[in-house]
Amino acid sequence: MKRIILSNLPGMMLLLPLTVSADVNISGFATVAGGRVMSGDGVEAFGLPPTFLANYPQVGVYEEEWSFKPDSRIGLQVSADLSEGLSVTGQIVARGADDFDARFEWAYVSYQLNDTWTLQAGKKRLPLYYYSDFFDVGYAYLWLRPPADNYTWQIFNYTGINALFNTQLGSWDVSGNLYTGREDDKENKLLSQFFGTNPVREIWKDIVGGVVSFNRDWLDIRLTYMTYVNERYQTVNGITERVEWDGEFERRGKFAGISVNIDYNNLVLLSELNQLDLDGSKFDTYMVSLGYRLNNVTPYISYADFDSDGEVHNTTSIGFRYDFHSSAAFKLQYDDVEDNGYDGLMVAGDSKSITFGVDLVF
Amino acid sequence: MKTLLIAGSLLLSFTAEAAIAIVVHPSNQTSLTQEDLARLYTGKLSAFSDGSSAVPVNLENTVPLRSEFDQKALGRSSSQVKAFWSKLVFTGKGTPPKEVASDNEVLALVANNPNIIGYVSANAVSDNVKVLLTLE
Repeated sequence: MKRIILSNLPGMMLLLPLTVSADVNISGFATVAGGRVMSGDGVEAFGLPPTFLANYPQVGVYEEEWSFKPDSRIGLQVSADLSEGLSVTGQIVARGADDFDARFEWAYVSYQLNDTWTLQAGKKRLPLYYYSDFFDVGYAYLWLRPPADNYTWQIFNYTGINALFNTQLGSWDVSGNLYTGREDDKENKLLSQFFGTNPVREIWKDIVGGVVSFNRDWLDIRLTYMTYVNERYQTVNGITERVEWDGEFERRGKFAGISVNIDYNNLVLLSELNQLDLDGSKFDTYMVSLGYRLNNVTPYISYADFDSDGEVHNTTSIGFRYDFHSSAAFKLQYDDVEDNGYDGLMVAGDSKSITFGVDLVF
Repeated sequence: MKTLLIAGSLLLSFTAEAAIAIVVHPSNQTSLTQEDLARLYTGKLSAFSDGSSAVPVNLENTVPLRSEFDQKALGRSSSQVKAFWSKLVFTGKGTPPKEVASDNEVLALVANNPNIIGYVSANAVSDNVKVLLTLE
């Protein structure tokens, strides 16, 4: 997070005589991780070998051979402060799961209205779950990755407007945001490549959501709500057709969740409870993690669960984070996945996997 | 042998417990609680108690006083503070305080700008700044 200030360089000013001088700030994050499935069942009905789906939306998949691709990524953020509260930010992320094909994942303009409100417009991460909007920044959280069973949704970005607020209520710090927008993913990776073989265009439109966090000393409580309308197109044998659900071309999703985190002395308790209601079908997720900080090393255990009509799975994880450097942490994690899916809604079968890696920020 | 050990541990505890002075421009007439200090350095507050704008300045990670400040003022290790800021920086929710390399740079910035707040070792305080709070 070192600031690199490019303003007022005489050479630049000569080359670009009409540009407004701006503080350009470059920062970034990276995770390099490797892992493999030690043992697993796969899913015979799908012809799937032993597999650990570590990242649903990016289809980050470990198999029985060591791989450094599923969780590895590097992100570069460039932010230009145009003064008087105006700034513009872009974040480019390259992921092993995408063969390190770099893409703009964030691109937005930000304007600070006053001490309480900031308006943003552009492309951002959809802040559904607690870790959704900093999912890629491994250094910012305890585990090797946020629990996969909770972070399963195929859409994770949106383009629209976001209003951030930050205020104080007595001894509580209250912050959050209200947002609206849409996402049109021309070829959704999870639906096209893992849960199916035909290209799927996934649209989440009329997105309206809000997040509010209450923070006091060692306690952090976060509430989240979002509603959207889902539309989907599938291309089979070159013919694109609109997907129907019970005779309707659209379905409404309503997502709600609560997260309670405690960081007391050296004890860390993290929890999330969320539900997505998709036209009456309920998708329930929760996770609980417990860690204990021993100087630079924080061992942890975690349990995460996904439950719906047919898709049912959970993961028990143990691991540790070792802050061996002022800007880097080493992590080792063991994951035991239990897939109890039925009616053809298994995900990847049971598996036991090991992953290790280093998270950095710069 | 025994006296040596005691003398050694006294010296150690003395250096580890050097006081930190929170400094502002001499014209600053406000007061500051330790809670508000923590808020200022975690991006949750951006004004002094009289409403005027407050801009915190931090020391770089390589300066030993920085980790003492993180521990005493924020109750967190420098790694925890960095993890906290990386969450905000990469989600567009905040920018960490600017960092400088030495006590002298902090003193110079504070002496010249009524909006800046910084911290230095208590024994480095000059006449050009005012001490708002001391962390023992």
